[in-house]
Amino acid sequence: MERSSSKVGNGQASKISASPNDDQGIFRRAKRSIDDLITQARRFRLKTKQQELLIRVSALLLIYVLAFATRLFSVLRYESVIHEFDPYFNYRTTLYLTQKGFYEFWNWFDYESWYPLGRIIGGTLYPGLMVTAALLYWTLRLLSFAVHIRDVCVLTAPFFASNTAMVGYFFGKELKDPGTGLVAAAFLAICPGYISRSVAGSYDNEGVAIFALLLTFYLFVKAVNTGSLAWAVASAFAYFYMVSAWGGYIFIINLLPIYVLVLLVTGRYSLRLYVAYNTLYVLGMLLAMQIRFVGFQHVQSGEHMAAMGVFFLMQVFYLVNWVKSMVEPKLFQAFLKIAVIVTGGAGALALGVGMATGYISPWTGRFYSLLDPTYAKDHIPIIASVSEHQPTAWSSFMFDYHLLLFLFPAGLFFCFRRPTDATIFIMIYGLTSLYFAGVMVRLILVATPAVCLIGAIAVSSTLKNVCGLLREKPVGKVLERQGKDKSKGGSDQSIPFQREACIVVLAGALYLLTSYALHCTWVTSEAYSSPSIVLAARQSNGDRVIFDDFREAYFWLQHNTPPDAKVMSWWDYGYQITAMGNRTVIVDNNTWNNTHIATVGRAMSSYEDEAYEIMRSLDVDYVLVVFGGVTGYSSDDINKFLWMVRIGGGVFPVIKESDYLNNGEYRIDAAAAPKMLECLMYKLCYYRFGEVSTEYGKPPGWDRARGTVIGKKDFELEYLDEAFTTSNWIVRIYKLKPPANRK
Amino acid sequence: AMDPVEHAVRLIYKGLRPPRMRLRSLVPELPSPMTAFFLVLASYFLVVSGIIYDVIVEPPGIGSRQDPVTGAIRPVVFLPGRVNGQYIIEGLSSGFMFVLGGMGIVALDLATHKGWSKNVRMSFGLGGIAAVVIAYAMSVLFIRIKIPAYLH
Repeated sequence: MERSSSKVGNGQASKISASPNDDQGIFRRAKRSIDDLITQARRFRLKTKQQELLIRVSALLLIYVLAFATRLFSVLRYESVIHEFDPYFNYRTTLYLTQKGFYEFWNWFDYESWYPLGRIIGGTLYPGLMVTAALLYWTLRLLSFAVHIRDVCVLTAPFFASNTAMVGYFFGKELKDPGTGLVAAAFLAICPGYISRSVAGSYDNEGVAIFALLLTFYLFVKAVNTGSLAWAVASAFAYFYMVSAWGGYIFIINLLPIYVLVLLVTGRYSLRLYVAYNTLYVLGMLLAMQIRFVGFQHVQSGEHMAAMGVFFLMQVFYLVNWVKSMVEPKLFQAFLKIAVIVTGGAGALALGVGMATGYISPWTGRFYSLLDPTYAKDHIPIIASVSEHQPTAWSSFMFDYHLLLFLFPAGLFFCFRRPTDATIFIMIYGLTSLYFAGVMVRLILVATPAVCLIGAIAVSSTLKNVCGLLREKPVGKVLERQGKDKSKGGSDQSIPFQREACIVVLAGALYLLTSYALHCTWVTSEAYSSPSIVLAARQSNGDRVIFDDFREAYFWLQHNTPPDAKVMSWWDYGYQITAMGNRTVIVDNNTWNNTHIATVGRAMSSYEDEAYEIMRSLDVDYVLVVFGGVTGYSSDDINKFLWMVRIGGGVFPVIKESDYLNNGEYRIDAAAAPKMLECLMYKLCYYRFGEVSTEYGKPPGWDRARGTVIGKKDFELEYLDEAFTTSNWIVRIYKLKPPANRK
Repeated sequence: AMDPVEHAVRLIYKGLRPPRMRLRSLVPELPSPMTAFFLVLASYFLVVSGIIYDVIVEPPGIGSRQDPVTGAIRPVVFLPGRVNGQYIIEGLSSGFMFVLGGMGIVALDLATHKGWSKNVRMSFGLGGIAAVVIAYAMSVLFIRIKIPAYLH
């Protein structure tokens, strides 16, 4: 008892003695625990290298998400729907692939288009895109995500755009350093030149092909830099993927020989180049022959001969170099002369024999018109008529590239100053693709990766130099350390207000890059996110009004016509009619048979009775025309009529363009040519239009797309019945009357 | 020990004599990198000005419209209405702006070069900044004139 009480007493005593310093004790304890926390946190503190890795990885993740997200405007505004025309064919084939399997898909003969000819789809398409989407679909299904194939198709292009940005990072790293790679990836993620063809819903070959293109180039440059066979084989397989995806692989198979030639001429021949090019050529060629559409073109077509010529030239180069290393100079000079003569002679002879016997076919019109831009205008109206094939004006360049147009020449300067094998490649790629982009608007897409990479080199180099200047020690301290060594200083090297100028430059760079990002987002949102199948316009009070006439008409076709009905329309709408209306068409966007298209063009531009005969011979049941007179939609069939006349007249001389012109112009008002007012296209578009009042204050029959009153208002159709007109008169469908019983 | 192929080559050349031709070196001398760069820059200027569009579509050098009030013909520099269309002069002036901006960035980088004197570096730096500012401002102005709805 005593002890315990004494203990208690002691404890109390010690407690009592500590009470005035209680607060200080708590404070000391708190400080100690905070110190402990900080020491523990310091253990997790990253070293500089790890910090850099963290910044890089998080930047890349953000770029990946950004590239995907910026392409989703149309999905958020409308719905997950396939855009334009060509993607509908790709969607239909992908659907067939997932439903029937690869064997059926590879051997598919489609009797529902190009009636009565049909189309060998298995042998006339590039399967890469469809197989990729089908693989993604099956993988997601395997992971038990119940996705619809249409959604997979819609989102394939943004997914591959993100992957392209990642490949851009690695390519930039290979060209210069990781900083360049990051800038290149960021540029690629939002560049409008690429977004235009890879937005969500644009389910087209280019969405996958640009990824394959950049991957092939990256792996090839890596192979040239390292000389490793593994990288070269990988690049051959990437080339195979590109061949399976898009007809633009011709660009790769011609760019690589040009690159090899430039390296040979500038004296940069090396064993690494030999290994890389030969592996890619031989293995890539063999793999490319597995695609039925390409077939044996790598040995037979004139467009692929450059690669073969350079292949043999490389062997000669290797032989000459080997002999040079073995033999003394005088003998070698004699050997060199003979070798050059024999090689040149044999090559010319082989080429001559090949072209004369017809084994090597000449350049096809599509690619020849890239070398001679005036060729298509005079000789091939179908190619000239596509709006994407027009040459490029400065505003298209500015729209699609913005800041990169300034950075491109700067980047070229940096590459020229210190050329390496890799920078020579990117320069050649950039210059050739930019030239082709000038010839055809559509090819701005192919030039985009090169322009982004070269721009990234410029940005990265400039920022590095400026930041280096900024971090320099001030001049006074440096001179102190150097002491008597003032001669090195000489005239004071650094500029006054150096630090301030560097900060100004950095701020300017920040402003420019921010405006690039704003521009790209605006362009994506306003110009490149329209699904084309759904039209939107703003009313005078600012409300948005949606025209869904196309899908209305196609679904009417699907539900209200017999399943074996044949529909005649201009070739633009063929894919959509087959995919959504599920009816047989006469001509579609594949445009592989010019005479068939000319027959349709002739029918559209003839008088009604002649046209009826042509349509009966083609077994047509319904005719579909697109008309923009009520809504002001300017891409309708009347505006495309001049191409129907030109293409039809190109094959059937009975159609003369001068019959439809008044003073060199196509007109549909009172001053129109008489044949124009009587032709089938006019009648089908303007039937009953004379009674319609389209705009307040204008007479009835006012065509809003052309801006005039039509010439002939009151007429009847003799051989056709109006079957359906959509709510805004955009699509009009007519049914052919059966032939008269008694004549 | 000699390679068997070397043996064969020596044997062949014992009898074979190359023809005595006076062939000059057909390969011309390679231009210096800077010459090549200026050639490339000139071609870039032409392409980006839309010269291929000019050759094929043959637009006029400058457009014209009639003033509704006075009846006089006034020149129109920028082709209105569409993105992919131009007159020749507007293309060339825009191309010049792009090249000017590019050269401004090059000048900025050259200003950081350590070996030169202070005055040269300062003039390069100021000239570079001025070039970039002017070129960017003019390009944005051009595109705003051409596409009135730009950035709205």
